[in-house]
Amino acid sequence: MVLSFILDTLIYAGIFGILGISLNLEAGFTRLTNFGKVAFFAIGAYTTALLTLNGAPYIIGLIASVTLAAFAGFLISLPTLRLRADYFAIVTVTSGEILRVFLSSEEWLTQGFLGLAGIPRPLSNLFGENYLLFFTLLVFLYLFFCYLISRRIIYSPFGRVLKAIREDEIAAQSLGKDVFSFKAKSLIIGSGMAGMAGNLFAHHLTFISPDMFLPGITFSIWVIVVIGGMGNIAGPILGALLIETFERGMSFIKDYIIMPIEPLNFRIIVIGLLLIFFVLYRPDGILSEKKLEMSMEKLQRKRGKITD
Amino acid sequence: MGSICKTFGGIVSLNGVDMKIEKNSISALIGPNGSGKTTLFNIISGFFPPDSGHVLFKGEDITGLSPNRIALKGLMRTFQIPRLFHKMTVLENMFTAPKNQKGENLFHSLMNWKEVEKAEDQNLETANRILELLSIEHLANEWASNLSGGQKKLLELARILMADPEVILLDEPVAGVNPTLSNKIFESIIELRNRLNKTFLIVEHNMDVVLNYCDWIGVMHRGQIFTEGTPQEIIKNEEVTQIYFGVA
Repeated sequence: MVLSFILDTLIYAGIFGILGISLNLEAGFTRLTNFGKVAFFAIGAYTTALLTLNGAPYIIGLIASVTLAAFAGFLISLPTLRLRADYFAIVTVTSGEILRVFLSSEEWLTQGFLGLAGIPRPLSNLFGENYLLFFTLLVFLYLFFCYLISRRIIYSPFGRVLKAIREDEIAAQSLGKDVFSFKAKSLIIGSGMAGMAGNLFAHHLTFISPDMFLPGITFSIWVIVVIGGMGNIAGPILGALLIETFERGMSFIKDYIIMPIEPLNFRIIVIGLLLIFFVLYRPDGILSEKKLEMSMEKLQRKRGKITD
Repeated sequence: MGSICKTFGGIVSLNGVDMKIEKNSISALIGPNGSGKTTLFNIISGFFPPDSGHVLFKGEDITGLSPNRIALKGLMRTFQIPRLFHKMTVLENMFTAPKNQKGENLFHSLMNWKEVEKAEDQNLETANRILELLSIEHLANEWASNLSGGQKKLLELARILMADPEVILLDEPVAGVNPTLSNKIFESIIELRNRLNKTFLIVEHNMDVVLNYCDWIGVMHRGQIFTEGTPQEIIKNEEVTQIYFGVA
């Protein structure tokens, strides 16, 4: 009972860690204020659910989740990336809502509000009772993969241009960088990762419905990134662990202690206060952005391996 | 470049500017505030489209191309107020500059790390040379935001040297830089011109350096090139003295 609760928490932390990493890539490194993150998450979840419910193997569902979410990122990038940050935020938040309305009204495809039930779990016959443990490891494998990808990207010349765009778009342009294309790529990769998280989410719950993809999810991811540390590659993972442990913990504790306020509301109040505290007093989050130090001595010593 | 006009609302900022920059020269634009020097820069570098007129670069019409396309063709500019990447180190700022880096391609960055790393090492050597030239090598790993005003100007210059374009437009490169270093910067500009055949167009109010180091000076006034010539000709021109230096 306690073990399965811990594993469940870890799975959520892992899934939100992936979402956090992907938002960090977009918002923390490219300054794309994506407030429609949940849309790509939902696309990942629905894609794999529809495919695997119709008999496709898990791996096809995974590939399709990532590809379709990434493609959606590409589509969104076309009309929006030339917008200023605030307008970009408005457009993305509405795209998320449009998708949710679509999912709840196109019953022929998604069963509308009834949702999709009985989504198969990958390799479930192999692990039997230890399934939750296996799934936790799977989630962390994906999380680790996303972490490595984002780390490689950030320390590469490609990631450097993303950071340059974050700092000063005009200067990046004056150095010959095609700002639009770099932003689009950042959004595509971020969306693909969100699709991957959606995939895990659907197979973990085995049931999804449109009301699981409210804008609140997007804001949770933002809180995770802001508190964990925007611009630090590991920040969102830490943020996801803390926030998810707290959120899950509160819903666990409410069965055992009596509180003057409804625990679910209390949870939201605490997270809101935390967010205000961080924005005012520690805007970098718990882990701040790391400096990438380079020196000629290091180069001469090793003929240059870039370290963090 | 010919007959550039630009108006902002009712204000005529540029009114038929014709000028030609010789390859391998160091030219300067001077003129009172609001005379249109920076607007001209913005038009040449593609940040504003001109209302009329054309910008030719090596015989090719580049009017209306996007700034990044123009930069890739080999014409780059700096800004009057330095535009740095603040939360990146001095070296990272410089590393961003080189054109068409292999590692900027996502595929190479993910799959071909060895080669990308080799290019990075080369960048480090070039960057270090430039920083030494400008005497800011001790700041290499400092956040750009922590630099002083003058150092920021130097870093922007360093960054554009790192980008290595053929034609460099500098908007007040030594404003806020101490006199010794200003002279040193202009000496290195001359050296770059001589050794690497670069062409410079410079907006600068520091007349000492302009008169000492530039081959050609254009004086702008109310959106036009009012007069032009070598430093000797300009210093003798009474009208220029009146408009710009304010003494009869």
